[in-house]
Amino acid sequence: MNDNYISINNISKYYGKFRALKNIDLNITKGKIIGLLGKNGAGKSTLMRCMLGFLNYSGEIEIMGRSVKNHREKLHDHIAFIPDVNCLDDRLTVQQTIDYVSALNDSWNQKKAERLLQNSKLPLKRKVARLSKGMKTKLYLLITLSLEVDILLLDEPTLGLDIVFRKEFFNTILGEFFNEEKTILISTHQVEEVEHILQEIIFIDDGEIILQKDVEELKDEYAIFTLPSERRSELEIHQPNVINSTLGNVSALLKRDIEIPEAKLSRPVLSDIFIEKVGGKNEEI
Amino acid sequence: MKKFSALIKKEWHTHGSIVLVPIWITLGFYFLLLISFGFAYFKGDFNLQLAEIQAQIKFPAINYYVNVGSVFMPGLMSLLFIIIFMQSALNEDIQKNCELFHRSQPISIWLRSFSKFIFGLMSNWLVFLMLVILNFIIINIILAFFNQLSFYPAFFGMFQMSVKYLKTGLIFGSIAFFCSAIFKDKAVFQGFAILVGINFLFLILNVMFKWNLPLPWNYFVNLIKNPGMEVLDAEADLWQTKQFIRNNWNAILWNWKTLLQIIVSGSLFVISTYIHKNKEIK
Repeated sequence: MNDNYISINNISKYYGKFRALKNIDLNITKGKIIGLLGKNGAGKSTLMRCMLGFLNYSGEIEIMGRSVKNHREKLHDHIAFIPDVNCLDDRLTVQQTIDYVSALNDSWNQKKAERLLQNSKLPLKRKVARLSKGMKTKLYLLITLSLEVDILLLDEPTLGLDIVFRKEFFNTILGEFFNEEKTILISTHQVEEVEHILQEIIFIDDGEIILQKDVEELKDEYAIFTLPSERRSELEIHQPNVINSTLGNVSALLKRDIEIPEAKLSRPVLSDIFIEKVGGKNEEI
Repeated sequence: MKKFSALIKKEWHTHGSIVLVPIWITLGFYFLLLISFGFAYFKGDFNLQLAEIQAQIKFPAINYYVNVGSVFMPGLMSLLFIIIFMQSALNEDIQKNCELFHRSQPISIWLRSFSKFIFGLMSNWLVFLMLVILNFIIINIILAFFNQLSFYPAFFGMFQMSVKYLKTGLIFGSIAFFCSAIFKDKAVFQGFAILVGINFLFLILNVMFKWNLPLPWNYFVNLIKNPGMEVLDAEADLWQTKQFIRNNWNAILWNWKTLLQIIVSGSLFVISTYIHKNKEIK
């Protein structure tokens, strides 16, 4: 087996006549935290659900050398998945949920689970339906991080959580799960939340992968050029998708090797690059 | 086995309270009965002709049919609750938005579906048998009190009728399970409506064009119907009653219809699971 944990070859997915994924090719190597960034409806969740075998698709997806179509159940021994935390079974109590997951997963690490449980202060006898969203997130983290799996897929897991829980969520994942043998793929449209932990980024738009690159390399490749407003035309020559105007200045994201005299250059964040690459094509950002 | 018992446990945790409802209904019924008897007794309206009853001879047929009758209410409740449970067996997790969570576990869909099928039938059957035994004990204590108990026909009256209900539960349950794989909500109602609709369509076509299309409703009724049981003569003695009970096993259990019912149920389970397995989780 090579370093590719996930190999996606030419997959397409239709919902009726709507083509949600268009001939996607993608390779994801082990030991990386990768962000899958796209607007609402770009195809992030569809792609993840295809990877997990929840949706039918054309093309081929292999995870750890095994075809998803033929080994769906076996692959779940190696993959943990956290979608929106509201998909926990509301009818079970916290204890019943933990017992259920631990009994079904051979990769369950009881010691780790006990330690996480001690820290989480979850009310064991309370029904999941009566937990706050923050508590549900803690429970989902507990049952996921107690599994000794190789790949963790996160599909907008912090949607609707407050900033404290969002930070705690990603810090816990980093501290308890990640090492150089494991891979995390995070789907989100709130890139600023995860930017600091990402090593690689994938931009998806309109069902197509438009970029896959190392985050630092990508940030080195681009710069934000700022000029006084009267020199706007010097930016427009390079045809950026977006030009921002602020306090008598205009700025745009351009390739770093472009030369504009006396322009102020600053390092972009991922959302700047995302808006440049994807924004402008569609209304919603 | 560990995984299967975890799945069964989960079914118990999520549906245990529904499964137990017939027990509460029956206990409530007996409680009300006790209260009304107590009330009548203290008011002086409780007037049993004990001497008259005790004077009569024992009729095995009465023992048999009284116990057949005692199965009716638990049987009806069991069928109702099997349908209620099974019609949401495969679609409830989707409705409750937790299908993704369960599908993310490393477990075969076939095993998960089997756990739902088995739990739906077994739990309802178990409750049914508990209630049947409770009724049997109460009714036969009363018969014994009036010196009318003849255990053999009493027991087999209860037993043979219970087997009939278990078989009917298997068919009804499997059909409801099948409907749950196809329809998202009110599965049995929708399935039933389609069956009746097709039946009427075929009927109309048969009348209009003088065709001879088979009517699905007839197949359905024929599948559920047991081959005719004999009727026990009211004055049959114990030997004749035993003979009748022995013969009745052929009508109730040992026949091709039973085999057909088992095959149909198994097939419906396989088809339902296959449909469910291929459903996309969006």
